[in-house]
Amino acid sequence: MRERSGTPNLHELDAGHFLHTGSQAPQNLAAHLDNQVPVESPRAVSRTSESDPAKHGEQHEGQHYNIPLQDLKAVFPHGLPPRFVMQVKTFNEACLMVRKPALELLHYLKNTNFAHPAVRYVLYGEKGTGKTLSLCHIIHFCAKQDWLILHIPDAHLWVKNCRNLLQSTYNKQRLDQPLEASIWLKNFKTANERFLSQIKVQEKYVWNKRESTEKGSPLGEVVEQGITRVRNATDAVGIVLKELKRQSSSGIFHLLVAVDGVNALWGRTTLKREDKSPIAPEELALIYNLRKMVKNDWHGGAIVLTLSQTGSVFKPRKAFLPQELLGKEGFDTLDPFIPILVSNYNPKEFESCIQYYLENNWLQHEKAHTEDGKKELLFLSNTNPGQLERLCAYL
Amino acid sequence: MHRFRIPWSLFPVFRHSLRHAGTPRAVLVGSSWPAKMAAPAVKAARAWSGLALGLRNAVLRLPGLTQVRWSRYGPEYKDPHIDKEYYRKPLAELTEEENYERELRKTQLIKAAPATKTCSVFEDPVISKFTNMMMKGGNKVLARSLMTQTLEAVKRKQFEKYHAASAEEQATIERNPYTIFHQALKNCEPVIGLVPILRGGHFYQVPVPLGDRRRRFLAMKWMITECREKKHRRMLMPEKLSHELLEAFHNQGPVIKRKHDMHKMAEANRALAHYRWW
Repeated sequence: MRERSGTPNLHELDAGHFLHTGSQAPQNLAAHLDNQVPVESPRAVSRTSESDPAKHGEQHEGQHYNIPLQDLKAVFPHGLPPRFVMQVKTFNEACLMVRKPALELLHYLKNTNFAHPAVRYVLYGEKGTGKTLSLCHIIHFCAKQDWLILHIPDAHLWVKNCRNLLQSTYNKQRLDQPLEASIWLKNFKTANERFLSQIKVQEKYVWNKRESTEKGSPLGEVVEQGITRVRNATDAVGIVLKELKRQSSSGIFHLLVAVDGVNALWGRTTLKREDKSPIAPEELALIYNLRKMVKNDWHGGAIVLTLSQTGSVFKPRKAFLPQELLGKEGFDTLDPFIPILVSNYNPKEFESCIQYYLENNWLQHEKAHTEDGKKELLFLSNTNPGQLERLCAYL
Repeated sequence: MHRFRIPWSLFPVFRHSLRHAGTPRAVLVGSSWPAKMAAPAVKAARAWSGLALGLRNAVLRLPGLTQVRWSRYGPEYKDPHIDKEYYRKPLAELTEEENYERELRKTQLIKAAPATKTCSVFEDPVISKFTNMMMKGGNKVLARSLMTQTLEAVKRKQFEKYHAASAEEQATIERNPYTIFHQALKNCEPVIGLVPILRGGHFYQVPVPLGDRRRRFLAMKWMITECREKKHRRMLMPEKLSHELLEAFHNQGPVIKRKHDMHKMAEANRALAHYRWW
């Protein structure tokens, strides 16, 4: 049993704050009944024992739910923000907060009509507000619902600082990125093992004089080919994307395309050819194929995208709106889409976050437990989740 | 360090005569420790502070000497009171003296509060001092970020140890980075130090009891030098510093060793102790 933090001044906590302290009685009771926290005193509630994202609803807003560590490794071989990974390692548990944007998206996804073309949802917001973790929440939900997850953890990694660009064998105009493609294929394989044997390729692909993949062989073979022969990794990725798009309408599986930092697909790259001429994104085979994936001309799934200024190239720091980050070309391609704003914590979520840290004894500074300390944290972080996490890390 | 800092109580006259330009402490540009050897020049400068301004400036424009760490405030300027609780007290609760003091401060001149001193509940003067000592070229942003990363690294390491330990050991593991920091520096403070004293043309290293400030300074200085010099080229400061702090917390490691070396040398030179006259 973890040692509870000293005396967190519960009375001062409950006095002015917005947590479950009796205002909505029936939901309160329901939330209390399935909570790990005992109900002797009206404590601030920051956790819920409901670990299935499908059952998350309004009553769980602001609470943290636990993801078992094996699930984490299976569903998220890549894609979690690095600070979150450090937090998981330190606390030995992965807890994600249930927030409004994610709940909204879950509601839409539960009511998707798979006969209609795939709907595009764009999560946007300022830096550090929780777009990537909301995306991870959605991915966890879809993984539990047995969808096929096509997760590109950070599209910016494909448009900057890439070494070893090869001229593509398939199309002389385009360029291959063997390293990035092979890393992505490895992670894709870990995340979607069970589908790779079920889905069959519908065309014959010839890799070189000696190797080829016959029609009807499982997709796993294409992925293996890409991982072992790194030169063909980009083409393998292209084939995987093409096949999945073609077959998602058949109804065997539902496809979720999740791209973080989708504004990298349009705009500029920092890559240059040997003659120092700049490379446009569409000249990279990976980006070209991904753009096709993000178009809504297929059905049988959904597309969830996240904008990100943090890793972006040549974009101003304060830009966070879709028009600013995507540019004209990107916006026109993605139009129409459903924008979902991810904003800073509201007071209830803030309290819940602080409570979660206190329960894990993460806030070690003696003044952090006091009311003054909390007010100061609120002020310093401006209720921004990323800033709050960084502040609490050294307190 | 009697030779290099003259306590103000010995020169009451000078304080008043320094009303206009404060107390210049001339220091050699580009060096800190050996600059204290400019003590004779400083002493001379102070002795001449009664002279006209022009003459004094001529003295202090000696090549290689610039004035640093001087205060432009005269003695009539009072220190600012940085404490939220002091100002939050309602007027009815104040005692006679406090009321009088408040009224007096309304007419007195008050120095500007330094940017680093805040009324934040998380402020720690030891951490601020350490950050300032780590700072290079005035880059406080970098120094502060290194400090916060160090505290975070210490915390994460201790959490790992906590989770790996059994129930009895968990009670002994300290996870608060601030207590670890304070305790580590306290463990590194030497009790006795060596001072070079000139006798008969030779400098002898004489063991001398050190004051509080000097001890704290030496502990921090040794810690920072150790972390800057004795690390792998690619290792980052927070990582090395967190490692050294944890070792010092357990009374092990190179900084503690340096403290012990200092004690041993003082013990060895015990015979020279009578050279000290204060």
